[in-house]
Amino acid sequence: MKSISLYEEKGSILNKLAPESKILYIILALVLPAIVGSKMVSVVFIAISIGLLLFSKVLKKTIPILGVSGFVLLTVVIIQGLFRAGNVTPLLTLGPVIFYKEGLLFAFNIVVNVLNILLSFCVLILATKPSDMIENFVRKGFSPRFGYVFISVFQIIPQMTETMATITDAQRSRGMETEGNLLVRIKAFLPLISPVVMSSLINTKERALALEVRGFNAKNKKTFLNDEKKSSADKYIQITMILLLIAGIVWRVVGCLK
Amino acid sequence: MSKIVVENLKYKYPATDFLALDGISFSAKAGEFIGIIGKNGSGKSTLCQAIAGLVPNFYKGSYGGKVMVDDIEVKNVDISDLCEKVGTVFQNPFNQVTGSKLTVYEEISFGLENLGIPKEEMIQRIDEAMELLDITKYKDRNPFDLSGGQMQRMAIASIIAMQPEVIVLDEPTSQLDPQGREEVYQAVQKLSKKGITIFMVEHNMEKIASYSDRVLIIDDGKQIAYDTPQKIFSRDDLDEYGIEAPAFTKICRELGKKNPVTGCYPVTLEEANDLLKKDKGEM
Ligand SMILES: Nc1ncnc2c1ncn2[C@@H]1O[C@H](COP(=O)(O)OP(=O)(O)OP(=O)(O)O)[C@@H](O)[C@H]1O
Ligand SMILES: [Mg+2]
Repeated sequence: MKSISLYEEKGSILNKLAPESKILYIILALVLPAIVGSKMVSVVFIAISIGLLLFSKVLKKTIPILGVSGFVLLTVVIIQGLFRAGNVTPLLTLGPVIFYKEGLLFAFNIVVNVLNILLSFCVLILATKPSDMIENFVRKGFSPRFGYVFISVFQIIPQMTETMATITDAQRSRGMETEGNLLVRIKAFLPLISPVVMSSLINTKERALALEVRGFNAKNKKTFLNDEKKSSADKYIQITMILLLIAGIVWRVVGCLK
Repeated sequence: MSKIVVENLKYKYPATDFLALDGISFSAKAGEFIGIIGKNGSGKSTLCQAIAGLVPNFYKGSYGGKVMVDDIEVKNVDISDLCEKVGTVFQNPFNQVTGSKLTVYEEISFGLENLGIPKEEMIQRIDEAMELLDITKYKDRNPFDLSGGQMQRMAIASIIAMQPEVIVLDEPTSQLDPQGREEVYQAVQKLSKKGITIFMVEHNMEKIASYSDRVLIIDDGKQIAYDTPQKIFSRDDLDEYGIEAPAFTKICRELGKKNPVTGCYPVTLEEANDLLKKDKGEM
């Protein structure tokens, strides 16, 4: 079955770590540069993220993600480099186009921030089974119902896409045009959407019943088939990250006092 | 001692103006296999849901009479408590997949996790249930990647693992091929031998005839008859309720061959065979 989850089990160290450690990593990667106030810290985190992803054999999977955002980032670099208000120092001349230092620096900051966000999230998303993450939240007191919704979305959306495809095929085999210009597509969309919506509404009711009779709303404390996802290293990793965060804050505060 | 007692049960869905169930009364003992038959829209599913407490606790609507499981009145307990006693298997295997579990094995654990069953016991129950339904070989598959029959057996295993004393199955085999259907029946019969009370809605009368201890006919929400399959299928008015007797019964009816002891037509191949052999012997 197709899955919309990007996660893949590779038996890597990142796979084995508790999801919380990876979430803490994201927080650290995003907050520490802001606290310290240096872009270099972001660059360091980008390097760490790339290292972690490479080491976990999932760096390749970031390419499509980076590809899409890369395009946007490139436009940012070009526009800011050429036209940013306050551009005075020419840095690079390509025929009639002049890139300015101020604009490029500004664009560089954006690029670094975006890459840092994307890559640190990749560390979590590409190496964590969504259900493990939610289950750990539920263990810590997160509502099992919300947990269910989050996890099932990963399975039920691909399922709905399949229903959609089946219905499209059925409609097409009855001679309906589903390809062509926008108007044709819109006309095709309406008869397509109503069976999909209807069938998913009915499915939802039936699934709700099926969940009910399996004790979904039971008030007792849940147990878990799978053991909590964590490794012996998690505690140390989390402590280290928290210490780093504190160190960053202290460094900043001391810097301000001076 | 009756396991289930239904007394003058009446029920109307919200926003409708007719009784979907109208004066149903019967009782069943532990380990009995009860077949429920009737034409489309007669109220079979509604009755199943009333036994499992989904009517009226999920649907609301107006409700009269009562359904007792042992000494519990179904209406007064939460569905999540009742489901430890009464398990339900629905028609569509696909919609019974929770969608929150990645393997068949985990899928079966869903109900057990909700009930707070300790891990060791959970594992033992899941293994047993998978064995019984013969799905152990699919344990690591994604639940959505099973065939309809396999998915339905997984759904039954998920319910059995919760160890209910009563299981209600609403047309569980209507989407299965004959082999899948037979497998499900074999498994359900094993459960019934273990003392679990079974309610089975089914349009296949041969199956109802050979597996049921007693059969309930409903029509338009009303109880028409509740009796042994022999008595039920020997009735002359089955046509009125959209029911077609099993092939063997119809043949023996044509031939006028009744069982002299019970005064009923046979309902299964074995019965028909025995009767015809005996007749030959006498001649
Ligand atoms: N959720 C609902 N709301 C309102 N009316 C309903 C609802 N579900 C069923 N009904 C009505 O109640 C009556 C009994 O329906 P029920 O589903 O119990 O029939 P059934 O015997 O199971 O039929 P089938 O053989 O088609 O499964 C029907 O007239 C049906 O239209
Ligand atoms: Mg029905």
